[in-house]
Amino acid sequence: MIDLWHQLLQGFLTAGTPANLLWALLGCTLGTAVGVLPGIGPATAVAMLLPITSKVDPTASMIFFAGIYYGAMYGGSTTSILLNTPGESGSMVTAMEGNKMAKNGRAGAALATAAIGSFVAGTIATVLVTLFAPLVAAFAIKLGPPEYFMLMVLAFTTVSAVLGKSTLRGMAALAVGLAMGLIGIDQISGQARYTGGVPELMDGIEVVLIAVGLFAVGEALYMVLYEGKTVETQNPMSKVHMTPAEWKRSWPAWLRATAIGFPFGTIPAGGSEIPTFLSYAAEKKLSKHKHEFGTTGAIEGVAGPEAANNAAITATLIPLLTLGIPTSNTTAILLGAFQNYGIQPGPQLFDSNAALVWALIASLYIGNVMLLILNLPLVGMWVKLLKIPKPYLYAGILIFATVGVYGMRQSAFDLVLLYAIGLLGVVMRRFDFPTAPVVVGMILGPLAEAQMRNALSIGEGRWTVFLQRPGSLALLIVIVAVLVMPHFLRMRRPKT
Amino acid sequence: MKGLRDPELAIGVGAALIGAGLAAGATQISSEAGYSGVGPNFLPWVVGAMLALCGVLLVREALTGGYREREEPSGAATGHWAGFAWVSAGVLVNAALITTIGFILSCSLCFVLAVRGFKSAEGRLDLRPRAWLVDAAVGFAIAAPVYWMFTQLLAINLPGLTASGWL
Repeated sequence: MIDLWHQLLQGFLTAGTPANLLWALLGCTLGTAVGVLPGIGPATAVAMLLPITSKVDPTASMIFFAGIYYGAMYGGSTTSILLNTPGESGSMVTAMEGNKMAKNGRAGAALATAAIGSFVAGTIATVLVTLFAPLVAAFAIKLGPPEYFMLMVLAFTTVSAVLGKSTLRGMAALAVGLAMGLIGIDQISGQARYTGGVPELMDGIEVVLIAVGLFAVGEALYMVLYEGKTVETQNPMSKVHMTPAEWKRSWPAWLRATAIGFPFGTIPAGGSEIPTFLSYAAEKKLSKHKHEFGTTGAIEGVAGPEAANNAAITATLIPLLTLGIPTSNTTAILLGAFQNYGIQPGPQLFDSNAALVWALIASLYIGNVMLLILNLPLVGMWVKLLKIPKPYLYAGILIFATVGVYGMRQSAFDLVLLYAIGLLGVVMRRFDFPTAPVVVGMILGPLAEAQMRNALSIGEGRWTVFLQRPGSLALLIVIVAVLVMPHFLRMRRPKT
Repeated sequence: MKGLRDPELAIGVGAALIGAGLAAGATQISSEAGYSGVGPNFLPWVVGAMLALCGVLLVREALTGGYREREEPSGAATGHWAGFAWVSAGVLVNAALITTIGFILSCSLCFVLAVRGFKSAEGRLDLRPRAWLVDAAVGFAIAAPVYWMFTQLLAINLPGLTASGWL
């Protein structure tokens, strides 16, 4: 415990240097802007800025990226409350009640409970990360390749099969991501795979290219094709303020939501859609003001999902840092950032890069305070961003996409590939294929393959190695359960 | 009854073909296994088979009433292809010219073309010279600071028209 305290203090000292504070502030500001602006999310923003990893030191850039990741969650709620189109998928639920409140002249209260709730949940979740991440790392260090491989398969399964509506479309997306991850030199044997003799493909495809292509270019192309005529209306602003009664209704919702959101973030089932929906359902059930839900807008319906979202987002850092397993688009890109520095997140990270990890965790505490200030008194400034004309916004995003992709490898070939991935993004969005499995599959695929081949080496080539070790057997059972359970439940339930 | 022009069917067929292609490619990869019993061609086979199977199942869903539980896509029912052509031109022209005319000019050009596309999607395509100039100026005002931030502040290489690092 003393040790933990000491390390956290060291982290604060590192994160508290003027330069690092500036990076954190820059990240939080940029993140909020990205969250507020439609058409660009945290995953895209971090991906576009990945080229800076070649020049900026790891601690500073991880603090910067974490600020963006966090900031986007705060900013996203502003957009989903004020506009009738949600920005982030995690704030879709916020939009349901938030919009109703805003239409009834209570935008200010909704914004306040969203920002303060995000702060409360984010801070509690950061405390939990501080306490539990070292424990998980200490446990994870005992895991061998078979267990790691099974954990990664579990991550694949949950991201592609459980989160989306259709297991089939999720699996198809995962296969596409895994296929992209195959391109390039095989890590173990040094063999070139699927390069077709194109020298640019020897080093594989950059995750930046895939993320920016799917999200930024894909979004821009989708916009021009289908959404040019979509008219957005903006709800009127009101003073950012909560009455004592509203405080009293928000508190329990924030705490309950943190309890719901955090566990969902830690298990490799990522995504904040499920916890936000669960929190919304819980608040609706427990509320004494049920008649306000869906009519005039209930403040619990904003407070809960927003807090759940932030708690889950923070908790995703546990599997990322301690196991090296990303469970969302953004954490997959953060993993890419670590890899650019030659750092492989995992249990050893807490020993080998202790200073970096603790500075990152400390910066989360600092970032939450910064974001509260950026989002409460200064919310008016962000609302102005919503006035940027769409054509300029999306055309500008294309410029930033170019910087991110070209800056990474200085290759014009990558820009053509970027366009192709953008087309894929349009098709996937139009036909309701999830995109997270593509990004997670592409970045985790090569790691999983290496673990699998190492595991088989341990088992002297026999697949039974996955059954003989209790850890990997238990994980295998969980994977099967996760795959089978939803279908089983559906069959049991009589058709309505 | 939707015929072969059904895009859902086309996607399924496409996925199946790519899966088959991956599997065909896997035959070209060595199976040298070393100690582990599976070589570098193992995962390619698995992924190829997985994608091909998904493709076949997608085809089946498409033929038997469409994709299951597919959410209604947002926006218009038909695509605005003229605007799409403008934006595509912007992105591809940028890819073609970035190394010769430099980041700032190439991105400004991409910006101008893309803005034409987005505006035409909104039904207010403006081809007057004045609008071109204004948009070019806006594009320049976005691209130039980004370029300077990367080349001057972060010392990351981006192509320029000159070697000065300013244009």
